Amino acid sequence: MKRLYTIMTVLLLGVCSTFAAGDATAPADSSSHEKLNPKEIIFEHLGDAYGWEVPFDHHHRIPLPIIVYGTDGFHCFSSSHITGGETYDDNGHLFCLAPYGSPHQGKVVEIVDGKEIRPFDISITKNVAALFISVLLVGGLLLWLAAFHRKNRFKAPRKGLGAIEALVTFIYDGVIKPTLGPQARKFAPYLVTVFFFILAMNLLGLIVIFPGGANLTGNIAVTLVLSIITFLVTNLMANKHYWKEILWPDVPVWLKCPLPIMQVIEIFGIFTKPAALTVRLFANMMGGHMIVITLTLLIFIFSAVSPYAGGGATVVSLMFTIFMLLIDVLVSFIQAYVFTMLSTIFISLAQEHGHEETHGGDETARGVLETK
Amino acid sequence: MELFTPDFGLIFWMFVAFGVLFLALWKFAWPIILKTVDSRAELIDKGVEYAQNAKEQLDNARKEAETYLNEARRQQADILRDADKMKTQIIEQARQAAQIEAQKVMDSAKLQIQQQQKEAQQQFRNQVSEFALAIAGKIVHRQMEEDNAQNQLVDSLLDEIEKKN
Repeated sequence: MKRLYTIMTVLLLGVCSTFAAGDATAPADSSSHEKLNPKEIIFEHLGDAYGWEVPFDHHHRIPLPIIVYGTDGFHCFSSSHITGGETYDDNGHLFCLAPYGSPHQGKVVEIVDGKEIRPFDISITKNVAALFISVLLVGGLLLWLAAFHRKNRFKAPRKGLGAIEALVTFIYDGVIKPTLGPQARKFAPYLVTVFFFILAMNLLGLIVIFPGGANLTGNIAVTLVLSIITFLVTNLMANKHYWKEILWPDVPVWLKCPLPIMQVIEIFGIFTKPAALTVRLFANMMGGHMIVITLTLLIFIFSAVSPYAGGGATVVSLMFTIFMLLIDVLVSFIQAYVFTMLSTIFISLAQEHGHEETHGGDETARGVLETK
Repeated sequence: MELFTPDFGLIFWMFVAFGVLFLALWKFAWPIILKTVDSRAELIDKGVEYAQNAKEQLDNARKEAETYLNEARRQQADILRDADKMKTQIIEQARQAAQIEAQKVMDSAKLQIQQQQKEAQQQFRNQVSEFALAIAGKIVHRQMEEDNAQNQLVDSLLDEIEKKN
């Protein structure tokens, strides 16, 4: 019976949306000169913007501050002055968004003598604002948890805070402690912060309207910074053994002496690790967003062909979109977990001691044998 | 492509934002959270260990108590049996002692009786001999009243002595 209801609902949805689409054909024809450009829409959604869209309104955006260092110092003004395509005059300096086809398309440029010059741009864009929201969210939740612990020693939090603490222990006890052992306490603050930060950004990105919707972790700048920090932590905190393994590894001498083959490979390896981190998170999250947007766009693409096809596509793509979004929730968590886990492993590799230092006599003997 | 070229502004703000977040949490949140989580885990571990130990001890104590109880029961049975044995023994001893005593009494009584009998016999003999003497004297006295008889006796006695020599 329950299944029957489900099937009926889906069919009804299909029929209704088909009629709705059919009805909408007449007025839609009049404005069909605005040709649908899926590629542009997709990249607009995946990319950054100087304002934040609000639902059901294509003209108004939440204005965000633009901060640029132009030809003569800093300029700061609201993005509402230029997002409509206008040119803004800030004390004699002209700023506008670079038009379609320009090398700086969509970015703020300063117009000097008719030429577009890209200023030093540290505007609070949509992504930066979303970043701040994530920071506030993560910081707020964790400080709240800390305050709870400060107040009630040894009492386990319940409900929402309990969930946050479950995540903390999931990462701390499940990943960091087994991998880093006695040094877990030293690196845990960075690693758990990274986990929560990525998780918050991922999940906020899945919320379509205002406080979310920014494709933050699907932006290569964000993942790049995170993996640069992991890279710095790994290499700056590394011990002697790590550098010895890179500069003079335990391999036959001809592999490292006249031609530093192993050294080149090892040094290359130092940089491929953060690169892999960067690309993995970026590609996964961007891919998720792209699939959802593409599925949504299918409705409009099919509607352009025929209203009835559009009606059918609505049901199908809606179901797929919901399915994909649910998968993306899972992926958000998995990717935050994977990033944290890989960072932990990279850091632990740089903290490892040689056989001689960590183990007893047997291991030392084996180490000597291996060296020979 | 724009997607693959990191934007400087975002990188800058990312460093700032993450730095602020990390420093704030590092200073105010993580020490207390990690410490609490660690110490609570330790506390729970210790609690479990303690409970296990307590259970083990309780089990041991119960087992021990049972062995003590069994031991006590065994001892009680032993004591009862011993007491029973001792009772019969005592009775037996008493009986034997009584018998011996009775025997002794009887023996002494017999001895006395025998003695008395002997005395009585002695007395009786004495009396009989007295009576016999008296009777013999009287008889002799009466016989010797006649001189003949006296001579005759002396003769016979003399004959006898002669014969012997």
